[in-house]
Amino acid sequence: MNKISDDILFKVEKPARYVGGELNCCYKDKESVDIRFAFCFPDVYEVGMSHLGSRILYHVLNSRVDTYCERAFAPWPDMEKQMRENNIALYALESKDSLNEFDFLGFTLQYEMSYTNILNMLDMSGITIRASRRGEDEPIVMAGGPCAYNPEPLHDIVDFFELGEGEEIMNDVLDVYKKYKGKGMKKEFLREISKIRGVYVPSLYEVSYNADNTIKEFKPKYDDVPKRVVKRFVANFNEVDFPEKMVVPYIEIVHDREILETFRGCTNGCRFCQAGMIYRPVREKTTATLVEAADKLLKSTGYREISLSSLSICDYSDIKNLIVTLIEKNKENHVSVSLPSIRIDSFSVDLINEIQKARKTGLTFAPEAGTQRMRDIINKGVTEEKILEAASSVFASGWSTIKLYFMVGLPYETMEDVRGIAELSDKVAGEYFKISKDVRKRGLKVTASSAIFVPKPFTPFQWAAQATMEDVVEKIKAVKYAITSRAVTYNYHESIVSYLEAVIARGDRRVCDVIIKAFEKGAKFDGWSEYFNFEIWQEAIKECGVDGNFYAYRERSYEEVLPWDFIDIGVNKEYLILENEKAKKAELTQNCKIECTNCGINENFKEGTCFHSALSNKV
Amino acid sequence: MKILKKGRVSIVRYLIKYSKDSEIKFIAHLDLMRTLQKIIKRSELPIEYSKGFNPHMAVSIAQPLSVGVHSKGEYMDIVLSCELEEKYIIDIMNENSPRGIKILDAVKVIPVEGKKKSQAMAIIDAAKYTIKLKCTKEEEVKETLQEISSTSEWNIIKKSKSGEKMINIKPLVYKFEYKVDSSILAISTLVACGSRDNLSAHLLADYMKKNIQSINKEAFVDIQREEMYATKDGKLVTLSEFLKNQ
Repeated sequence: MNKISDDILFKVEKPARYVGGELNCCYKDKESVDIRFAFCFPDVYEVGMSHLGSRILYHVLNSRVDTYCERAFAPWPDMEKQMRENNIALYALESKDSLNEFDFLGFTLQYEMSYTNILNMLDMSGITIRASRRGEDEPIVMAGGPCAYNPEPLHDIVDFFELGEGEEIMNDVLDVYKKYKGKGMKKEFLREISKIRGVYVPSLYEVSYNADNTIKEFKPKYDDVPKRVVKRFVANFNEVDFPEKMVVPYIEIVHDREILETFRGCTNGCRFCQAGMIYRPVREKTTATLVEAADKLLKSTGYREISLSSLSICDYSDIKNLIVTLIEKNKENHVSVSLPSIRIDSFSVDLINEIQKARKTGLTFAPEAGTQRMRDIINKGVTEEKILEAASSVFASGWSTIKLYFMVGLPYETMEDVRGIAELSDKVAGEYFKISKDVRKRGLKVTASSAIFVPKPFTPFQWAAQATMEDVVEKIKAVKYAITSRAVTYNYHESIVSYLEAVIARGDRRVCDVIIKAFEKGAKFDGWSEYFNFEIWQEAIKECGVDGNFYAYRERSYEEVLPWDFIDIGVNKEYLILENEKAKKAELTQNCKIECTNCGINENFKEGTCFHSALSNKV
Repeated sequence: MKILKKGRVSIVRYLIKYSKDSEIKFIAHLDLMRTLQKIIKRSELPIEYSKGFNPHMAVSIAQPLSVGVHSKGEYMDIVLSCELEEKYIIDIMNENSPRGIKILDAVKVIPVEGKKKSQAMAIIDAAKYTIKLKCTKEEEVKETLQEISSTSEWNIIKKSKSGEKMINIKPLVYKFEYKVDSSILAISTLVACGSRDNLSAHLLADYMKKNIQSINKEAFVDIQREEMYATKDGKLVTLSEFLKNQ
């Protein structure tokens, strides 16, 4: 156990990040369990504690009598400095034991720019960074989460990956581990779990390359290791184990409210969106299940706000009933319901009107692109007419602040498409002035934000070249100068972070060396602009003899072996190709709620049915 | 939950005494407030809310505690919509509290006819603290403290929003005892607290740090609030007692 002295804690910012002991956190007798698991989030406490998936898995793991799951987060650099100076190893919050005393470290991969924090967390615990050099007596390092769908850039850091939803697979892996624990048989353990559906053990596969640096072949080293790794998902999502208790932090975290997961998957089929592909099929929980879960969670957490979570909440088949039921049930309780983001249509505006009767704090819409042609290319099925109609209805209902999210640097994008961002924002602002003065609320503010598009694996745009930094700078300028309304504020991101994100997102095994090198040169908290240092990364890329542009700016051919091709997400590659071809022609694909679009998920994975538990009579 | 008086006869105010243990001493005032509200919510106590669009729970903390300070004698006022047994309130809140908070006492505040009962924060006059400072040369500390104790003025610069001001804190120190043992100077002190006169324990600790050479200036100063007092018949009694036998 580490003694984190007050002499250290009083010197750092937000010491409550490092002390644990929150409401509902789990304490067990470490002598009476077989498996000690440290759930690691490679970012600061407030960010990590807001992540629903981690909270679910903390609960799932601790439901096992034989397992004690604790939490670890990346210490903020001020705390890291103190810990390193005082020789304190990174520890888990519950027992305060160093991470190197655990059987497993499980990292969740939510964004590429958190990877150097993983390395730093290992290093701070005295754990060997490279998996190939890590000893028998060191913990087994595993990882999961959306970024694990291209695991290769971490192939020599992580011993094994879990692909897909963790609830069941985690149990399968731990059951096997009990046989091998403490016997010095790490290799045998990894070999055995490689046969569990959803598990990928990188050390059991080898890659060869062509002269042009593309992949020649990816194959298992042994005959008994599966050629393809098939993702896992929970078939009956309505009955999946959902925590009745959640840890309630003392300090304010990013999402400080009760989170209720309504459904997984998404039917919209936006072509840029990885989540929309990898989380298929769509499966819902019933309103009855959700209302019951909400009750239990409110009771155990003491929260006064319920947030409904999913990829596109207004697409929940029974949304109106769910919201009305939750509001009615909790009227006397002073509990409010909130939606993280809403679809752009008047149905959704009516819904939010129902919820935010009093406080009209501001609404966020995501048209994603400025022109109709571009929205059709990305298959964002929304017309300008609908957007303006929704905006008008928003202003008429008493809101005066709207946020609009866009992307720049999308495939097949022209300067005209980019200027469309400015035009659409102006038009949205224009809708405000069409509303009579006595109806609209004063103080119009339209904030248009643009992110830079990063092509992601398992999307129809996985073959696309990212727009160059120079290109993006030009485009951002074009948007800035094209805005005429004084009510519109334009925010944009730096393009260099997106470049690196693109390198890592579609990187292969050779990018792993770059990440290690960058870490050695001091890279950490790369997702935080105050710590991101592009020069470090440029040097690392150069010293590793890797060409960043090869990964970010190169358009791939359909024939090329992609680093993540061995993973089967259930959606056919042919479907992604077809979608990309349709994008080129700006052709729309319908929402698969209306009619199946033959992505392959229900053919390939017989155990899962699309729209499980959803109300089918409502579209 | 056993409701003693049914129906909304009137609202009932309770004074709750609780601890903020050392393990959560770095939790700031507002975060502690949020946590206390969650404890009340989890306990399903019939708490009153303010009216309006954004209703607030009727909970107020008597005297904020600075970050880094722990306490065995914290107080809050809560307003319930019906009368409950005091023991029930203590037990149910303890069941629903995290490790670092313990509910020690609950006292029903009996309204006096025709008089609005003042809240806990208005009646506080003094607080007792234990302050522990790390030091090196024990003898030297003792000698200096003897000198300090005999001086009539303890002057130190107090920083506030309106600027810096030199003040004499000695009149605000009602009792001052100390012990030096195992390189720790432990001060037990009763000081002015509340809206009339107030001395922060940190300022007193700073005075000691400034005037005693061998106190480790880099080390954390461990401060525990022991109790808070109000004046009754010219005597200081704990807040609980003040309201119990009114």
